[in-house]
Amino acid sequence: MFSLKELGMRRSLMAAVILGLAASLSQAQTVDELIGKYVKTIGGMDKLQAIKSVRYTGKFEGGGGFTANVLQENKRPNMVREEFSLQGMAQVLAYDGKVGWIINPFQGKKDAETLGEEGMKQIVEDADFDGPLVDYAKKGNKVEYLGKEDYEGSDTYKLKVTLADGTVKYYFLDTDYYVPIKIETKQTIRGTDFESETILGDYKEAGGVYFPYSIASGPKGSSNRQVITYDKIEINPAMDDAHFNMPKPPMKAN
Amino acid sequence: MNIKGNWFLLGCLLAGLAVSGLGQVKVDSQTISGLGIRNIGSAAMSGRIAALDARRDGDRLTIYVGAASGGVWKSINGGNTYKPVFDKQDVQSIGAVTIDPKNPKTVWVGTGESWTRNSVSVGDGIYKTTDGGDNWTNMGLKDSERIAKILVDPKNPDTVYACATGKLWSDSTERGVYKTTNGGRSWVKVLAGSNQSTGCGMMAMDQNDPRVLYAAMWDFRRQGWTFRSGGADENAPSGSGLFRSNDGGATWKEIDENSGKGLPPKPWGRTAVAVAPSNPKVIYITVEAAMPRNGLYRSDDEGKTWTALDRSQMMIWRPFYFSNLIVDPHDENKLFKAGGSLIYSSDGGRSFSNVAGSAHGDFHDVWIDPTNSNNVITGDDGGLWFSYDGAAKWWKADNLPVSQFYHVTVDMNRPYNVYGGLQDNSSWVGPSSFPGGITNHQWENLYGGDGFWTWADPTDPDYVYAESQGGYIGRINRKTHEARGIQPLPGYKEGKLRFNWNTPIHVTKAGTVYIGSQFLFRTRDHGQTWDRISPDLTTNDPSKQKQEESGGIIVDNSSAEEHTTIFSICESPLDPNTVWVGTDDGNVQVTRDGGKSWTNVVANIPGLPKNAWVTSVDAGHFSAGTAYATFDLHTFGDLRPYAYKTTDFGKTWTAVISPASNVRGYAHVIKEDLVNKDLLFAGTEFGLWVSLDGGNVWSQYKGGEFPDGVAVRDLAIHPRDKDLVIATHGRGIWIIDDISPLRALTPDTLQKDIAFLQADPVVQKIQAGGGWNDGDSMFVGENAPDDAVITYYQKKRHIFGDLKIDILDAKGSVVGSVPASKRKGLNRVHWAMRLPAPTVPPAASIAGGATTGPRVMPGTYTVRMTKDKQVYTTPLKVTLDPRVKFNLADRQANFDLSMKLYNLLGQMSADVERINSVRLALDDRAAKTSDTNFRSRLKAASAQVDELRRKIVATKEGGAITGEERLREFLATLYGDVISYEGRPSLIQMQRADSIAKELADVRKAFDAWTATELPKLNSDLTQYKMQPITVSEVVPASNGGGVNASGIEFPISMGRW
Repeated sequence: MFSLKELGMRRSLMAAVILGLAASLSQAQTVDELIGKYVKTIGGMDKLQAIKSVRYTGKFEGGGGFTANVLQENKRPNMVREEFSLQGMAQVLAYDGKVGWIINPFQGKKDAETLGEEGMKQIVEDADFDGPLVDYAKKGNKVEYLGKEDYEGSDTYKLKVTLADGTVKYYFLDTDYYVPIKIETKQTIRGTDFESETILGDYKEAGGVYFPYSIASGPKGSSNRQVITYDKIEINPAMDDAHFNMPKPPMKAN
Repeated sequence: MNIKGNWFLLGCLLAGLAVSGLGQVKVDSQTISGLGIRNIGSAAMSGRIAALDARRDGDRLTIYVGAASGGVWKSINGGNTYKPVFDKQDVQSIGAVTIDPKNPKTVWVGTGESWTRNSVSVGDGIYKTTDGGDNWTNMGLKDSERIAKILVDPKNPDTVYACATGKLWSDSTERGVYKTTNGGRSWVKVLAGSNQSTGCGMMAMDQNDPRVLYAAMWDFRRQGWTFRSGGADENAPSGSGLFRSNDGGATWKEIDENSGKGLPPKPWGRTAVAVAPSNPKVIYITVEAAMPRNGLYRSDDEGKTWTALDRSQMMIWRPFYFSNLIVDPHDENKLFKAGGSLIYSSDGGRSFSNVAGSAHGDFHDVWIDPTNSNNVITGDDGGLWFSYDGAAKWWKADNLPVSQFYHVTVDMNRPYNVYGGLQDNSSWVGPSSFPGGITNHQWENLYGGDGFWTWADPTDPDYVYAESQGGYIGRINRKTHEARGIQPLPGYKEGKLRFNWNTPIHVTKAGTVYIGSQFLFRTRDHGQTWDRISPDLTTNDPSKQKQEESGGIIVDNSSAEEHTTIFSICESPLDPNTVWVGTDDGNVQVTRDGGKSWTNVVANIPGLPKNAWVTSVDAGHFSAGTAYATFDLHTFGDLRPYAYKTTDFGKTWTAVISPASNVRGYAHVIKEDLVNKDLLFAGTEFGLWVSLDGGNVWSQYKGGEFPDGVAVRDLAIHPRDKDLVIATHGRGIWIIDDISPLRALTPDTLQKDIAFLQADPVVQKIQAGGGWNDGDSMFVGENAPDDAVITYYQKKRHIFGDLKIDILDAKGSVVGSVPASKRKGLNRVHWAMRLPAPTVPPAASIAGGATTGPRVMPGTYTVRMTKDKQVYTTPLKVTLDPRVKFNLADRQANFDLSMKLYNLLGQMSADVERINSVRLALDDRAAKTSDTNFRSRLKAASAQVDELRRKIVATKEGGAITGEERLREFLATLYGDVISYEGRPSLIQMQRADSIAKELADVRKAFDAWTATELPKLNSDLTQYKMQPITVSEVVPASNGGGVNASGIEFPISMGRW
């Protein structure tokens, strides 16, 4: 130990360094503490890690009475397949860890195509099995704690999450339960920012982990929201890796 | 602690509170803000732009626009689209915007416009963002009220100078030039005015040597009845003058007629100053001095000597409003001068051309693209304008809804129209909804000048009353736009009547029109005859009637300072003989005998300072003796709100909003609800406020995208549709649809964890499309929802477990479900009133006509909300749109045919499912068998079956426009046609339904015949080959999604991740 006096002329410099260190430590501590509490609330890291694959089944509601059936499947480490189906036809979006692809069958074309820039950015995000908060540093994401903020009358902790690809997300964690109730996203696509927000709710348990069963999203600030409500979340269903690979054209017809 | 544990504890806690009767629920912004709000604009007229800055980075142009009272708007695409970035701040009035030249994400905003017209708003200091406008921090100078310019040292951007103009209506010390050297953490006043009414009016910097600064100090004051630019009188000489510093503001030297050879003698008023960026020795100033020495001056030696140049009218006009010079970045001889018209010199200031062209007029700021001087952006009283040819022609920004309404009224059309007048932007009418959205095209300009009160004539829908400044009321034919001036005129030797700039007009349901000068006038015959029904109701104080002397150094008497006038009028809706009048000089007058006698009751109002501007009077709807009034003292420097209520015709008054309350901003308007007498709405300079308890507790409405600090000048409650229509001065018209939940939000309800709020019957609005592809640069106002809106209250946000809303018909069957909203306080969800989309057999492509369910029949439904295991219900009545030309029996006939087709699509799906079950099984067996002959037989059988399928559905794939239509496509088209018009279907539609059903039955019969004859043979052979026999699937497919607009299907690119 040494006293400030002993530091002599270097005192203020050292103090600044120490203060700076304390500030960054406390910042990191807060971030890790909040994320730790979030993980603990939803079931804990062990239970989270025990999940190797998830199948979400539910309904998409786009406003004005428009509905579709939705299916999302995630498999570790970073595979995802999403289906929106209507009149027995399914739009498929998938990523196998390397290739992102889409089938948009509604106008009669049922071949798989590779995803464009926007789609690719999004599908890679969707493939993040535990979401960007869990193991954020390993994934190259940066997280900062920005303080408390009111959201629609609820107190929240606001986290700024900068994903490895530059996308910025603001997470609003409920101060009682540490689960996110809102996420704002700012993606930069071809030099232009696109902002959206997602409202999470109806957290329920599946396989020992709490998942949001209601996910409403839309442009930031707009009252027009598309809502996905899950009926069922299956834990560790069997899934073949090939299920996520891009099919070789042409796809089989009905 | 696990979640269930927390839940349990919370439940106990809430239960305990309920039992003990503790835990009074506080009503606050979040309680009420869940009611949605929509902005209908318009951007057709847009509004005053006070300041702007832009920056070109590579090929992209970023623009920050400072609206006079509508916040800061950012465009990242050169002006195609704009985003308001300042809406969460406490004020919306902008005086200065400056992008940090080194760090383009850092932007400084000085709040409080310095173009100090009578209606100007106020600011609360200087703000900074370091992330391009996402987050702002108030960096101080909170008492400066207005800031005219911010200059950032281009070499050291932590050094910033603020030109603080200061308070308009009162003395203050926080004005002058301020400097920070630490990015705004602290400020030092480096140049003070010589008195407490002198601040900084404009400032300029030598960009090559940023230590060289010029500050134009300005002595000014506005009062309700006069304005001066320059000193008060001989005993209080003008503090205006030009100052120069060459040491970053440490020391200043005045440049006046003694030190700057050629300058006019003092006193001065407002001065603009600009340094030529390409040659900083060249300084331009405009000087408001005694005529004829006023005008433009140029120095080529940094201010030592000056040459008097142009003094054309636009150079010398209204210096308080237009003192701004903008020099071309590359040519010291080219410059713009803001003015009533924009003027431009290319000869160093000797002569100017009018380059305003077809832009609106009353220009305040100009930006010249440093990479190409042909690209010019300017802001005026009508919005933002772009030129790509050096200001020859202008392109208007059609996407900036910063319109500055003074008043708003509504009519009884369906949908109703909204009427209002705006600062320098005439009087307009626009629909509250329009198929496809309320674009700028739907708004119609009615009159001219500045607009204020605008009313539909309730006795003749073809006519509208509107006015321009100073009470020039006209009656306008909406179809022909013929306008007849009907202003009451003075009598013999009366000189002129005193009409306020913003003259009150009040029109009653019966069509009686009131207008006030110092006298109250009334007409019952559309202005053919006016009855003068009062004596002078004002103080008639001659000291406040010297408008011909107003302006200061240069006279400025535009009627904006007309005073000792009537400002507010309201006839009692319960008694036409009771009329309330408020004046701008502090009188509240009431007559109970139709104007024969008047009583000034203002002395009965406790605690109200004298001569307060009576901004609104609202006669009660439940008792003739009741009235509310708002009082505004900001013209005396008191920005706090005052509102009072009387229940005894003005004998006694109680404060409903006091300066000590949480309500912010001087008060413009108060309205008592039409149904619930305890529900009050108030508009102040800083927002919309709601009280559920007669004025004891006020909550600021902060819902949707409504800006927190916007000035709410007027309010209207639609008597039929129950909408609250909000006139903002800076952000256009906003509507909160159906405020009945606020009427029903009792203290009892507030105590409940969750509760429905009784809804009025829902009208099934006519289905209609409209609008067109206008691109992104056109403002489109949001329509009222076509859906049934269901409102409920939650004491706390819902996070865990289910929250489900189902709709049940009279038999108790679920006919729909909607996702629930989760927020604390009032929540709103929408039900489209549609059944699920019909089940449609799979085919080559989507059947666009059949992606929507039919709308349910009018009738009574039940809304059932399930929160975890708790169930709550409320009735929901659905009615026909009164505009439809058919009756309920027609509607039923339509619904019956719709359901017949709906079920036929279901039957068709089952038929295709049956066929496919056999066809695919045949293919499966064919693939499995090794016997080539048998395989051929199976394949042939599959082809036979497929031939039947191909009679039902189109099968050509590949994405081309195949034009292939089979029964499925015919049926879906017919179904789509039938459900999109809800009157009686045509005979041919009914016949077509029968023929398609018959053709489908024919195919079914053929398939049944095939399965009866061919399938048993095949199955017997399959058994021989030890393969599974084939059975016909009788599974009826479930509804497989759909909804309106599914023909243009656009799914999200993904489901998202959390």
